[in-house]
Amino acid sequence: DALLGCHRSYRSRPTHGIGKFKYLLPKELPKKRKEKVQMKEIDAGTEYQYGDVNIQMTSHDLCLVEHFAQYVHRLCNRLSIRVNESYAMPTKTNEVLFMEERGSKMQLDAVLTTHQRVVQIRGLSSTFAPILLEIIQSSQPEGVHLLMKQHTEDDFKSRLKSRPELEELLAEMS
Amino acid sequence: SSAARRPWRLFGAMCLLRLPRITQPLEKVEEEMAALMEQIELEKSHYSDHEIRKLEEEEQLKRKKESLYDEDEAHGKTVIMAQDLEEKWEQKFLQFKAAPRITDADKRNDRTSLNRKLDSNLMLLVKQKIGNEELWLLPQVEWQPGETLRSTAERAMATFLGDHIQAKVLGNAPYGIYKYKFPRAIRTENNVGAKVFFFKAFLQSSDLSQAKLKADYLWVTKKELGDYLKSEYLKKVNRFLLD
Repeated sequence: DALLGCHRSYRSRPTHGIGKFKYLLPKELPKKRKEKVQMKEIDAGTEYQYGDVNIQMTSHDLCLVEHFAQYVHRLCNRLSIRVNESYAMPTKTNEVLFMEERGSKMQLDAVLTTHQRVVQIRGLSSTFAPILLEIIQSSQPEGVHLLMKQHTEDDFKSRLKSRPELEELLAEMS
Repeated sequence: SSAARRPWRLFGAMCLLRLPRITQPLEKVEEEMAALMEQIELEKSHYSDHEIRKLEEEEQLKRKKESLYDEDEAHGKTVIMAQDLEEKWEQKFLQFKAAPRITDADKRNDRTSLNRKLDSNLMLLVKQKIGNEELWLLPQVEWQPGETLRSTAERAMATFLGDHIQAKVLGNAPYGIYKYKFPRAIRTENNVGAKVFFFKAFLQSSDLSQAKLKADYLWVTKKELGDYLKSEYLKKVNRFLLD
């Protein structure tokens, strides 16, 4: 009888499910491949609401532009405006060459980097938009360019890198 | 019903703002904080490429003086020393002269020029004749039926400053309203009083040479407004002005 005794935990036993642990681990969703998210809201109408609005800040000074972007983000949080995304565009490096042609030709180099941060906002009512613009304009630091524009497909696509091999294969297929 | 004319006359006024061109000076706390942060960051930071190069070259010079290390490595690399570059940059920096923060107009306290108070907002005030008196007001013009209030305000700006101003009005909604009743002598059935709607515009370019200013005008900051405007009017105007 001792050999026949089956100690397999049955469902009515209180020890059912002892030894399970997967429910304790964090859930891992399957990885998505591409995100083709493009959403736009209604613009015209009596209830005037802008769709996605991009606030782009450009400057040569990295810390300044980052802090300003953080300030704008926090301001929108405070004013309960929904911020979709807040991202950075790739930096552009410019080499400045001075050609002095007095006597000996000298070439002085300077390397300038241009940084850009974008804060994307949604749900801006048109009565509030000019006030927000004025607040941001008056708290603009020196050396930072501000640009507010509506979000378009081109803006979205400028963030993505083009894949030349994929495009070649697609062209061959079709 | 729209058939009966309302007894109020409508005006559209434009508040033309010139944005500050320089940042305001830091307060004492801000300055101390900035100095402290700079010191902390300096002590925590690593050497940059230029500084490492400078240190290496100094070491090479020392070695040259003590024992003759004049091999090929000295000739190949150090054609231009880092020290020379620094001196060149210093000289260039000394040649650069920044523009003055306090301009001539500030010193003369000339309130008609745009060049004063570069670190605060400036507003346009015009002398207008209302009723029997001449008052200092924001430029205003009466509303014609059939046009929007915003275009009335733009027309007000155009009448006082000429057509070619580069000012940007942000939205269609007014920023403030001031209403007053006429004194009893002038009051008729159709004309009880007037309502003035204020709009804001930002001056894009600071070049007003093309503008033909017809009446007396002033560019004032928010604090100086009290010198010119009446108290009730001032209260309503102050409500929508940021400092």
